Order: sequence, then structure tokens, then C-alpha cells
Amino acid sequence: MLIIFLLTILGAAFSFAIKGKRRDYAIAASGIFLALTVIYSVIRFHSGYTGGIISQETFNLASSIGIVFSTGVSGFSDALLILSAIVIFLSVIITEKGRYGESLYSYILITESGLFGILISRDFLFFYIFWEVVLIPVYFIVAQYGGMNKDSVSLKFFVYTHIGSVFLLLSIFTVYTFHYESTGVFTFEMGQLMVSTYFAKIPAFWMYFAFFGFLLAFLVKMPSFPVHSWLPDTYEAAPYPGTVILSGGLSIMGGYGLFGILMPVYRSMGTGILDILMALGIISLVYFSLSAMMQQSLKRMMAFASAAAMGFVTLSFGAGLVESGYQASLELAGGMFQIVAHGLIMALIFSTLYYIYKSTGHEATHSLGGIFREAPILSSFLLAGLLASLGLPGLAGFIGEFSILVGVFGAIGWFILIVIFAMIITASYHIWAAQKSLYGPYNERLGAIRDADRPTTVKLMGMLIVIFALGVVPNLIYGLLVTYIGGIL
Amino acid sequence: MYWPGWFIFLSPIFGFVITYAVGRYYRNLSGVIASLAVLGSLIASILTFFYVQSNGTVYNSYTWFYNIHAGIYIDHLTLVMALMVSFVSLMIHLFALYYMKDDPNKHVYFAETSLFTAGMLGLVVSSNLVLFFLFWELVGLCSYLLIGFWFFKPNATAAAKKAFIVTRVGDLLFLVGMAILYSSIQGFTGLGANSPLSIPFLIQNAQAIATYVGPNVLGAVAVLFLAGAAGKSSQFPLHVWIPDAMEGPTTVSALIHAATMVTAGVYLVARVFNIFYYSAPFAMYSVVILGAFTALFAGIVGIFVNDIKRILAYSTISQIGYMLAAIGLGGVFGYGGVSFGMFHLIVHAVFKALLFMSAGAILIALMDLRDTRYMGGLWKRMPLTITLLFIGSLALIAFPYTSGYFSKDTIISASWVYYQHYGTVQSFFPWLFLATGALLTTLYTFRMFFRTALGKPRSHLAEHAKDPSIFALLPLFVLAIGALGLGAIQGYFYGYIDPSYSLPSVPFLIEIIPMSLMAVGLVITFILYGTPMWQKFKFSKNPLYRIGKNKFYLDYLFTNIIAERVIVPISAGFTLFENSYNRAVNNVGSSTLKLGDLFRRIQNGVVENYFVVLIIGVSLVFIIVKILGLM
Repeated sequence: MLIIFLLTILGAAFSFAIKGKRRDYAIAASGIFLALTVIYSVIRFHSGYTGGIISQETFNLASSIGIVFSTGVSGFSDALLILSAIVIFLSVIITEKGRYGESLYSYILITESGLFGILISRDFLFFYIFWEVVLIPVYFIVAQYGGMNKDSVSLKFFVYTHIGSVFLLLSIFTVYTFHYESTGVFTFEMGQLMVSTYFAKIPAFWMYFAFFGFLLAFLVKMPSFPVHSWLPDTYEAAPYPGTVILSGGLSIMGGYGLFGILMPVYRSMGTGILDILMALGIISLVYFSLSAMMQQSLKRMMAFASAAAMGFVTLSFGAGLVESGYQASLELAGGMFQIVAHGLIMALIFSTLYYIYKSTGHEATHSLGGIFREAPILSSFLLAGLLASLGLPGLAGFIGEFSILVGVFGAIGWFILIVIFAMIITASYHIWAAQKSLYGPYNERLGAIRDADRPTTVKLMGMLIVIFALGVVPNLIYGLLVTYIGGIL
Repeated sequence: MYWPGWFIFLSPIFGFVITYAVGRYYRNLSGVIASLAVLGSLIASILTFFYVQSNGTVYNSYTWFYNIHAGIYIDHLTLVMALMVSFVSLMIHLFALYYMKDDPNKHVYFAETSLFTAGMLGLVVSSNLVLFFLFWELVGLCSYLLIGFWFFKPNATAAAKKAFIVTRVGDLLFLVGMAILYSSIQGFTGLGANSPLSIPFLIQNAQAIATYVGPNVLGAVAVLFLAGAAGKSSQFPLHVWIPDAMEGPTTVSALIHAATMVTAGVYLVARVFNIFYYSAPFAMYSVVILGAFTALFAGIVGIFVNDIKRILAYSTISQIGYMLAAIGLGGVFGYGGVSFGMFHLIVHAVFKALLFMSAGAILIALMDLRDTRYMGGLWKRMPLTITLLFIGSLALIAFPYTSGYFSKDTIISASWVYYQHYGTVQSFFPWLFLATGALLTTLYTFRMFFRTALGKPRSHLAEHAKDPSIFALLPLFVLAIGALGLGAIQGYFYGYIDPSYSLPSVPFLIEIIPMSLMAVGLVITFILYGTPMWQKFKFSKNPLYRIGKNKFYLDYLFTNIIAERVIVPISAGFTLFENSYNRAVNNVGSSTLKLGDLFRRIQNGVVENYFVVLIIGVSLVFIIVKILGLM
């Protein structure tokens, strides 16, 4: 895995040297990375994975102060690696020739290596560096190729998420320092720092300080209710390939932070924090669903839908750790599955919207209307994406939402009805959006529009097949997630 | 692994793919392929029937994800349902060859109905509630797509949306039921290697589970399942979507909204009957009272409707009420209640498919004019179709010795036994509602029939109506034979579902009440609607009439009050809050613009500078911690 990661860095760096054919290069590179990641996962995870971290490698850089580059992959991060490779590949191939400048492709490739870096780093120093590395290319993608208000929005995105990162840094140094205090060893290794036995030794105040720092950083990325306001603006202003990356690639960061990094120390967390997380999850779910309902632009509506889907993830993290027995495993695995499913589904929705926008020039529900008549293929893909997003069984979204919903009763009791209410609202506005934009009499003012051509159909179909496959055979990754949880609980 | 059992639902799935792929290029083959696929299911069901006769129940189950399993479970109840679904679906597919012959998108239509049949059969044979739910939603999706099949009609897409959302409410409540069951069953010693939501596990251990989780908790689960069933089977108050769903093609109404999908809810209650049976008594009572009340309520509303398809839709709601009530009577009859309900389900599927398809034949002749006020005199002009409609109507009102008579009057008698058993006022309501329902059924059915068939044509279209060709009507004749003769297998059927069933025995006077109410209804409707007398009525000012005409304001309550006056303002409020919150965040941002500039200068995206920040940060935190640590 490390080799693949280094290749992504090389690939990204090399892309700057290419003139003229950078799109083809990026397609080839991200395709190769995707293939390599899949091959790697099949070899290492197809059988014999028993939980924990595998493929561990360590490089001492300055070991006296704990600066070590160590890597490793768990079942969960492997699933996310595949997801981000798919999403990046998709975001590259949906761009059309000559629409965007050459640098977009370099930024996308840098994002890919940043994401890979986050997912395979097992020490906080490099984790943090890659955490920041991801922000920069995305900032440039929004700032250079964005739509309305791209300057202020990209700045907002950057500053907002950066505030989260600052807290992440503070927390990292808190745990780093106390580790030195208690053992006399400098280390950034997650394997050393994120263990319950060690956490129990930190003074209570600083332990909570560290927790809240981590949580704030991850919840901003998630995003969760009070710290979300970068999200709709950024999603809306970003160019469509950027939105695909944001929704499919960057949204995993918060979830990975919770499930990949914080979960091993859940015993120190206490029910207080978990209750807060559950509450935030439910509030996000309701709040984003209700806000989404009134949005005119499909892109912005789906941005809120994406945020609401991530509310499920926060909820499942809190609830799963409160519970015990088989429902806890179902709940947590469901939360992780939801991250993957949500990434794929949102990538499909936003890429379909991109094609619809390209052929009609509109993305607001009221400016479209009846386009099923003229563009049945694109409309069917959008409908499929919307149905997947509202959790229709047979598609990937259902497995996550089902696991979360069925597992959650033990933790929240009859509050489940609030979740149900939010899900009804979700179904309503998804269907309402489909009805308004796709069905009914054709909006003649749009003139003649083009339907998807064959290459487009193949791209979107590939995505839909992945979503469908995960919905019908969830054990492709579900088993890995359950094993991963088994190693921690 | 018993392959024919899997083939029951796999055949139409293959049919779906092939129909769509081939149909894109050869439109006319699509219907044939879809019908062959459904025929495959029918053959597989018959093979499985004989296999189960000799080898007993089929149960194949495999791990799906975590402790959720997927597989097939086929017992007598399943078989009855599978045979009915594949048979009725085949008949409707055959009729659709005629009905949809001119539609440019008929390959999509046949692909979707094939997928629907697959979903319905998959639901019937699935061995786990989660897989059941998957197919449950798949049929819901197909219903959504097929109601909105004529997507350019605003009414049709609005109806599709309404259907999806209303059933979704029920589905999610069903899911909550599963959540409670899944959570509370943890630690149950009989669980073993079973999946907690496996159907055979639940029905075999229902009694022990009830003791383990407590009858009230299990009762709550049962009531939530019932809510799911009410959404799918369009029971009060979630029935509002089905009359609107009549905007879809008539064959769709026949297949989905009369014969098969709407009975999925009844099948669910029958499938997990033991959960209802062993939980607290309120669960069983809510089934019987919900069914009986809906039977009465939909019958009342049906009297005020003029649209021929909507009348049939209300009659579907009402008849499903009878089925649910019959299963609810299982509190006294045990599993016999299920056999009464299932027999009515099968019989109803046959005669209601017949009614809808004859209505479809009328609509083709009248160019989709659905208002019975403008029909009339059709018996002379379309004798074959109207005769078929007549046979269906007779079965619907339970005219003696038609199939409906055997299935429905048994239920009404059984509800009398139920009252005798408990002797309380609450237990009297089911009989009261169901017996009154018999009168109402006759009223709305023959109001429709007489207005359609007798008198003079009241529109130009009705004057020139013609029968379709006899080949197109062949499937209807098959169904008509069933509607007349299915009563013959009553005893065999009851014994097949519940070997220890006992027919309800009631006093002669009670037994003839439904029949005499039906006769009274026939006389009234003939006097009013068999003659032109009804055309002189002027009701529109009458308050009672207006309540009925507006369907007791339930649609108004859901759409105009709850959706528009409650949900939309709440959502608008949230959006307003979100916007001002967003603006506040932006203001905080711009008021610290100078600080922001500073930030920007430091964080100009060069990694080296990050290291600078990092190191400064490290030292700062280090110092702070040191100082505090020393303190």
C-alpha cells in the first residue's frame, strides 16, 4: 500500500510536468491507482483479515522527538481507500476536454495523494500534514474554477475547516505531550497514543480538551449541525468535479476521524460525550432535511441531503458505542458502511447533475421540468441516485441506513421516531425534486437538449453498478467492517 | 438448495433484464418475453407445490451481512400466495398485450411489470424480514414507476409521488418495529445461530420470545408491523394514495393496486401471525378493528365516487379490510383466522383483477373516459365485457354461490362467533362494521354497474363503444371462471392453510343477515340507478353529501393541513434560520477581515509555511502545558 501511496505522490508531482495532455494523463493515473488499490485490497483483504492494522511500515525520521512516518491499513481505511480512488477517477473522467484548465487535474491528483496519506498514516504528525494537504488543492479548485462568489466561498471554506484543523493540532499535541510526561517517550504513533490504557492516565481536563479538539475537527469535516455552514456554500460554488470530490472524497475525513481514530479510545469517552454526539447526529439529520426541502437549486439541495446523510454517521458512532452485543456491531458497521455508500451515491448524483447542467444550463428544480421526455437516460440516472440517497433497498444507501436505524433503538429508545420523521422528510423532498424536475410536461423553454451519449452512460452506469452491487452483496466490505470492529470492541 | 424455489422470483428478474434489452429494438417481443418469464414463475411455483407436498417446508438461508440472513422459506401459506401472484400476474400480462399494444414505451412497461412480479414473488418467498423489506420496497418502487408511467401527465406524477410518500410512512414504521424486535431479542437463549429477524425463527419461537421480551413490547412491535401493512395495503388512515394511483394504466391498477401489491400487507400480518397471536391482546384487536373499520369507511366513501376506477379502488380498500379483520379474528380461531383471510385474499385477487380489466376494456372503448355519469347503455354495445364486469360484481357483493360468497360470508359469520366468545361491546364492532359493509359493497358496486350498463348512453363516446376482440378477453374469461367457481375449493383451502380449522357456526338468522342486506342493496340500487331516477338528484348542498364527497376531508388534512400548513412552514422556518445563521457566520468572518488577511498571509498554501506554523503551535502548546503541568 505504501508503494501505491508513493506512486500517487509521484503521479501528482509528475502531472505538473505535462503540458497539453494533462487530462488524459490524469485519467490514466487515477485509473491505475484505482486498479492498484483494488488489486491490493483483493490480495490482502479477500480472506484472512482478522481485524487491526495490516501492512504496517515504519520509517524513522527523527525518532528522538518521535517523528516517524508509519503507515498501515485497516479494514475500514481500505474500504475508504477504494471509495476515494473511485470518486477521484470519476471526477476526472466526467470532465470534458478543454472546459477546465490544466491545473485542475494536478489539483485532483494532489487531493488523491492527500486522501491516501490521511488514510494510511498511522502517526499523527503525517496524518495532520495530509489533513492539511487535502485542503489546499480543493481550495484552489473552488477558487479558480468555482461558480458564483467563488472567492469569498473558497476563503470561507478554507478558514472554516482550518479552524477545525487548529483544534486537531492542539489535541494532537496534548496527547503527545502527556505521553512524554507519563512515559518519557516522544511519539506521534496512533498505536501508542490512541489506546484506552494510556488515555486513562491523562488528567481529566486535558483528556476532555483533547477529545473536544478531535471532535470539533472531525465534526467540522463531517459536517455536523452547528459547524456546517461552509458546506452548502462550498458545494454550490465548487465546479462539478470539485463537488464530486468534496461530497465523495472529503466527506470521508470526518467519518474516518471518528471511526478510525477516536473509536479505539471510546472507553475513556464517557457517556456524556456520546450522548452529545447522538444528539448532534439527530439534530443534523432533522435540521438538514428540513433545510434541504426549501432549496431551489438541486445542487444545494443535494448538499444538504449529503450533510443529513452524514448525520446518520454521527448518530451511529454515538449510539454504537453506548450499546453492547450484536446491535453495537451492527450499528457501528452500519455507520461506516454509510460513509462509503454516501460517498458513492453523492458522487453519482453530482456527476449526473453535472451532465444535466451541461445540456440544459439549469440546475434549479423550477427551471427544469419534464426533462424525462427529452433526456430519459440522464433522468433515470438522477432518479436512481435520488432513490439510493433516500435509502431504497437494493442500493447501497439502504444497508447503511437500515443497520443504523435497526441498531439504534437500544441506545435512543423512542427518539427513533424523530429519526423516522427526518427520513420521511428526506423521502418527500427527494421525490418532490424528482417530480418537479424530471416529470410532468416538458419545459419548452429549455429547447432541444441532448441526452447522455454512450461514454457518459457507461461512466454513470459503472457508478450505479457499484452502488447496486454494494446494496445486494454488502458483504463485499461489510464483513471487513465487522471484523475491524471486532478487533476494537 | 431447492432451485425451483429460487426460480420463482428469479425468472421474472431475468425477464426484466431481457425484456428491456430486447424490447429496445423489438418492441413487440417485449410483452411476450415478460409473459413467458411470469409463466416460468407459475411453473416453478407448481413444481414447488408438489415438492412441498412430498418433502415438507423448504428453507434455504445464507448469510447476507453480519447476522442478517437471506434466503427462501416456502410453506403452505407462501405457496398459496405464490401461485396466486404468478397466475394473476400472467393473466394480466396477457391482457396487457392487448391493452398496451399502441404505447411507444411498452418495453419499459413490460420490463417494470416483470420486475414488479419478481419483487412480489421475492417478498412472498423470502426467509428474513430484511430481505422481505427489500422486496417490499422494490414493489413500492415499481408501483411508483408504474403509476407515473405516463410521466407527462401531471396528475399521474403527483399520484406517484403521493403513493411513494404515504407508503414510505408505513414502511418506516415497519422498520421501527424491526428495530425494536432486533434490539429487544438480544440475549434470548433460543436465538442460537439464527438471524434475529429470520421469519421461521420468529414464528416458531414466538411464544418464548413473547415471554422473553414481554408481551407489551412484542405488542408494540406487532402494531408497528400493522402500521407498515396499513401503508402498503392502504388501510385507514394511510389509504389516501390508492384512489389517486388510478391515474396509471389500468392493467397496472389491476396487477398492483388490486390483486397483488396491496395484499402484501395482509400477507405480512399472516406471515408473522404468531407474533400477533402471542403478544398482548391489544395487537390482535387492533388488527381486527382496523380491518373492520376500514371495510366500513371505504365502503361509505365509495358510494360518493363517480370515477369507475376509483370506485373499484375504494372497494379494494374495503375488501382488504375484510381480510385483515379475518386474520385479526385469529384471537378466537387461531390460525384458522389466517385461512379465512387468505382465502378471501385469493378470491378477491381473481375477481378484482377481472373487474379492473373489464373496466380497462371499457376505458379503451371509451377513450379513457372514466366518469360513470357519462356512460350508460353499454350492455347492449359491449355485451361480452359488461357480462364479465357483471360476473366480477356478483362475486364482489358475495352473491350466493359465487366465490366471494364463500370467502366473505365466512368472515362475517366468524366475527359473530368472535363477539359471542368475548361478549363485550368492543368485540361487537367488528361484526357490525363488516355486516354493514356487505350492504355498502352492494350499494357502490351496483351503483357503478347499473350506471355503466343500463339506461341510455349519456355521451357520444358511449354510443359508439365496441367490444374488444375475443382473444384479448380470453384471460378475463379464465378469471371469470375462477370468480364463479373458486368457492368449490373452500374446504380444501382452509385445511391446506390450517389443518385444524373449524368453520364458524352461527344461528340461521345471523347467517342470512349479510345476504339479506345484499338483497336490500340490490333492490335500492336498481330502483335508483337501474332507472334514470338518479339524474334528478341534487345533493351538492347537503352537508352529509359534502363530507362524503370530500372523503371525510382526510386528503385535505394530509395534503393541505399537515403537508402545507405544518411541514412546509417548519421547513421554511428552518431554512430562514439556516440562512441567517449562515449570514452571521459570514459576518463574523468579514468583521475579522484583518485577522483573516493575516491568516491568509500565513496560510498561503505552501507546505513549508505550514511547518513554521506547526512548530510555533507545537512550542506554544508545549509551553502552556508545561506551565499548567507545573502548577
